[in-house]
Formats: sequence, C-alpha cells, structure tokens
Amino acid sequence: MARRLTVVVSQGQSANPAKRQLEEDIVAALLFEKGIEVTVVPHLYDLKPDGTGMLALQNIAGDMVVLSWLYPRASFWTLHRFGIKGRMGTTLIEPETDDEDEEDEHQAEAAQAAASAATARDVPNRFIYCLDLRWHTQVQTYVDEIKRIAAEASVPTVQLIEGLTGGGLIIGPASTAAPPSSTSSSTTPHAVAANGAPANGEASDAQAEPAGATVHRVEEQTGRRWYPVIDFDRCTNCMECLDFCLFGVYGVDRFDTILVEQPDNCRKGCPACSRVCPENAIIFPQHKSPAIAGSPEKATGGLKIDLSKLFGAPDEDPMQTAIAERDRELVAAGREAVGASVGIPKRQANRANEPKDELDNLIDQLDELDL
Amino acid sequence: MSDELVFMMGKFAARIPTDRLYAKNHMWAQPLRSEAPDPGCAAIPCRFGFSAYAVRLLQDVYFLEWNVDAGSTLAERQEVGAIESSKAESSLYAPAAGTLTTFNEQLLSDPSLINVDTYGQGWLFELVCSTANLLTPEQYLVHLEAAWKVAERTIKGQINED
Repeated sequence: MARRLTVVVSQGQSANPAKRQLEEDIVAALLFEKGIEVTVVPHLYDLKPDGTGMLALQNIAGDMVVLSWLYPRASFWTLHRFGIKGRMGTTLIEPETDDEDEEDEHQAEAAQAAASAATARDVPNRFIYCLDLRWHTQVQTYVDEIKRIAAEASVPTVQLIEGLTGGGLIIGPASTAAPPSSTSSSTTPHAVAANGAPANGEASDAQAEPAGATVHRVEEQTGRRWYPVIDFDRCTNCMECLDFCLFGVYGVDRFDTILVEQPDNCRKGCPACSRVCPENAIIFPQHKSPAIAGSPEKATGGLKIDLSKLFGAPDEDPMQTAIAERDRELVAAGREAVGASVGIPKRQANRANEPKDELDNLIDQLDELDL
Repeated sequence: MSDELVFMMGKFAARIPTDRLYAKNHMWAQPLRSEAPDPGCAAIPCRFGFSAYAVRLLQDVYFLEWNVDAGSTLAERQEVGAIESSKAESSLYAPAAGTLTTFNEQLLSDPSLINVDTYGQGWLFELVCSTANLLTPEQYLVHLEAAWKVAERTIKGQINED
C-alpha cells in the first residue's frame, strides 16, 4: 500500500506577495497529487506550544515534508522541541549545488544523528524533510522534489532501518502508514478548518480511498516569539548555555539532558547563549546572522580556540559580544550587569604550557584506546 | 488641518507636517505631552513613525520585526528591529536614546498601515526621550536636501568613493 506523505507549509511572517504566492502555488500544485496531504500553518516558530497549529502537526503520522522560510535545521529542531520527531530526511534540492557528494554527506550526518544519545531516545522511525522556501523561486522545483520524496517514501526498504530506539519502541512505518488519513482528520476536526476546493464531502471520500491531496488550513492567531532551539545532533550536553544564561531559560530533563525549559524567559533579540555554545548547537531561527539562525555551516568564529585577542582584536570575539548582550538584557530587566564574572566557561586558556604529567599521559593512553 | 512642508523627491512630493519633530533617521516624533518641564533636558514620551520620505523609499511594507522588548532602554542608533518592503530590507535603529515603552502592535499583523496612514495609525513605537537632538520640520527639510542627494546616488548605484 502506498504510504501517505504529509506536506506542511509554514507560512512566512512577511506579507510579501511573491512569498505568499509561492506558498499558495505549491499548495495548488499538490492538490492533484495522489497520496499527499497538505497542512498549512502560520509561521512554525511562532506557533503556541498548545495551540491548534502545533496540535495539528503533532497529529501527523508518517513522513513529512516541511516547507518554511527557515533554515532546515531551524525547522527540524523547532519541530523536535514540540515533540514532533523523526529522522532528518535527505533532500536533493539545495540552494546551489545538489550533487552526489551532498547526499553522501547528509546520509553520514543522519547516521551520526542516530548514534547521538540525546536523539536516540523516542525518535520514531519516520522521516522529516525540511525545505527552505528561500532557496528557489520556482514552484516546480519544490513540487518535483516533493513528488520525488513521495516516491521514495513509498518504497518500504528505505524506511526499514532498524533504529536504536529499542524493539518495543519501533513504530513500523507500514503500521503508521495505514491509518494516517483517518487519524489526522478525526483527531483535529475542530482544530483544523478545511478550506479551499475540496469540500468536507470530498475529504471523507479521501478517507475511503486515497485520492488527491486534502488541504488542512490551520488558523491560529500567532504573536512573534523569541526562544532558543537546540540542535541535539550537535549538542554535547556541556551545560555552558545553562551556566551562561541568567534568565533561567535552560534546565535539564530527568535524564540530565539540557532543555529549553522556560522559552518565554528569553530576552527578545538576545542570541548570547548561541555565541557561547562551543558546538554552535543553539539556533535562534529569526536572528539575522545565518550561523545563529541555523545555517548548515558551523561558525568559523567559534569559541573552541580563541586566538583573536592574542592577535590584538578588540572586543569583537563571540564571548565578548555575548557578555555585552547579556549585560544589556540584565540592565534592561532592572538587574545588575555581571560582565564576565558569571557563567563563563573555564577553558584553561591562561594555563601555561607545561610538560605533560602522569595524569596527562594516562588520559592520552585512554584516548588512544580504540573503544 | 495642520500645515505641512513639502520635499520633492524627483516628481514625488513628500509631505512633512509641521505639527511634529523629526529625527535624522527619517522618523517623525510627536511629543505626547505638550510641555517638557525643562526644555531640552527632561525626557518626555514621544510617538515615532516613518516620515513620508522614508516610506517613499521603502514603498510597500511587507514585514516589520522588533528585536527589543517594550520597556527596554535604548542607546541612540541601537539596532531595534528590521523591515522588509517591496524596495528594501533594512535594519532599524533607535532615533534617540531613551526608554521604549510601547510598540504599535497592529503593525505586526498589518504593516501596510505604514503606507496607508504614515503620520497617524502607521506609528511605530513610543519612546521616552529627550527632544533636544530632534529636528524642527524646517531643519529636517535641510537635512533632506543632503540625504536625498545620497539616496539618489544609492538608488542609481553611483556612490562616490569619498
């Protein structure tokens, strides 16, 4: 049986007619595709945790393609934050090149993702493909890619990778695939206002036998939000963000894994924790700097080895910027600026380069062991 | 109806109402209290918006975003947000130092009010600030003479090196 694929269109915040047109043209083009359902939601990042938009997305079973005006990492990990999890699907469209190497790279990334501790828990065996609507202006590029993914998703062998989720937790793709049309439309009838061409009668026909796409439009009044999103493929749980942020945004779950506990404590516009993160794992999807907004590259100006001061740089390094940003927010909140006195990682940068002692040698030996 | 000055941007007449002050970054400022206790020194609440000159350069506004919260203390020229229009994408900066008290929330869902009612419902935010460094309409007109020459060059992509 062919699996159903759900295409989520996350609308942009901008009223730019060209952007809205691209969204609607994609929706219109998918109306006639068999086995594809379309859900249109307001800007993904702005959705309320318990709002109708997020509820509709949480009720989607099986593979998803998410089209948004965000970097794919930003979309993927925003969904993850709200419990909408899966494996990152490989898309063949890219802003510029889309050759084989890219694909291999993505597959390697996916494999690595499966191995990371934080993501191995509770990840259902389904794929989430995130496409950035800023990549192309051509509707057909997206539609073709969605069709390709739909074809790929209907080949069961691709899906049957045994996960690390443990036998009992594996939700077989075939079993989730069978009833998706009934689950998604029966669990969200009041949340989702179906509109556009296919009337209600037609939608129920679609339940009986998969026909063209049904379009669910979620109307939710959203306000602008601002909170960090953690990329758990990159996060090493080092807790530097927890130490640095003085607004109580971060916490840990019962497995002592970092999480964004109080997103609404976050200070609008402040990306300081993202600058402090040694793995560049903290995404602020709305920040204007691509490295902070979730671009695929890791920032080159990371904190791992900071030589900029050595070469006479003024206060331009990320840590100084982060400290300044934090102080500004502290003062704005009526608190005292703390400068570099609180929550700054100790990386022993000032330690003199001494000869290795016994402990160093022991650690080196441990590192050499191929565990 | 209040008087207004007019600045010609080519064939376009940008209206500059004389019932308010202006900031050099092409925002109008309307003191919400008529008298400052100590002119030029005390901060008073002012409502800010884009001047017709700025709106003409932007044209249709599609998206407006603030990256500071209401209640924030701003330094002059601190970055406070971003704007997208049919002609430009730009960051926005504080017109004066002060405390930002309110944003026009209506603009977040419908920024086109900036185009429809530039000097009224299209206001951007309210800032408690000193009006000492703001310009009178006449001074703003002088400022526009110089700014327009730069803008023209920018538009034509002919910025001089100096």
